[in-house]
Amino acid sequence: MSLSDLVLSLADNKQMLGLRYAEWATRAPSLEADIAAAAMGLDDLGHSRVLYGCLEPLGADPRGPERESDPASIRNLAYFDEPWTEWSQFVAANAILDTAFTAMIESCVGGSVEVLQHRLRKMLMEERYHFLHGRSWLRSGIEGAPLLRAWQEALEFFGPPDGETERLHQEGRLSMGPAELRARIEEQLDTKAPDVTIHWTVWDPLRRRTAEGAIDEATFGMLRGLEEKKYAPPTAKQAAS
Amino acid sequence: MTSAYKRVSGEAVEYEVFARKARIDPLHLVGSVVAPDADLAMAYARATYDEERWCEMAIVRKDDVIRLWSPGES
Repeated sequence: MSLSDLVLSLADNKQMLGLRYAEWATRAPSLEADIAAAAMGLDDLGHSRVLYGCLEPLGADPRGPERESDPASIRNLAYFDEPWTEWSQFVAANAILDTAFTAMIESCVGGSVEVLQHRLRKMLMEERYHFLHGRSWLRSGIEGAPLLRAWQEALEFFGPPDGETERLHQEGRLSMGPAELRARIEEQLDTKAPDVTIHWTVWDPLRRRTAEGAIDEATFGMLRGLEEKKYAPPTAKQAAS
Repeated sequence: MTSAYKRVSGEAVEYEVFARKARIDPLHLVGSVVAPDADLAMAYARATYDEERWCEMAIVRKDDVIRLWSPGES
């Protein structure tokens, strides 16, 4: 796993987080929360664009042709595989996973790689409001199951204690390794991560997850533009073919 | 004076949102949000009123505004 692989995982996860946020733009508990979901969705989709744009300057773009046909080639956490059906899933993702991604971005900004230092800094300002939103809703109390799952997947995203993420930290390219990243979000959320068992032997270092599976067909089609073609008028379909 | 908002929950209160585009401008009222705490109110204010390039934005609990008089009372 290279730094480019990590950035691509971050980009794919930000893209999926943004899409899942946006799906709640008319379903949140209040109009303000609707607007916040839409705004955070736009932020994270924008962040994913910036992160994808970092791949070329990093020297090795890991995206291959399989991304056009295999949903499992999208490197998102399992938490984003399916649309969320409960508000508590939104809150757990907002409070735990969004904060975990921000910690990783902080680690990139604080590391020695110039393109990441410069391009990712602005994201941290925008993420401050995502954090306030997530933490406040979290404090209001949510169901335990999505919260536990979000913590589990956040820790999986950080990677094993002695893996490649730690190596990037030791080399100075990241300012935090898995242990520091975990401590960072625990400090921010003022709580300890729950005891979870992670089977690192089945952990996929590219997708940064232990679970099998992939994003749902409709979302994958939408990412590839196929959904757009489905709704195009017949004349446009003929012109495109 | 109390805000009568009960829409989000019994504890939700109204916050006034102020902003300005340039340092030489005074802060002016751009709207309001309803939230149960200041953290969420900040997140909502930023999400709702962020279309313009404000150089400063602030929120104040509506209950904390001391009014000398209101419309119809002067």
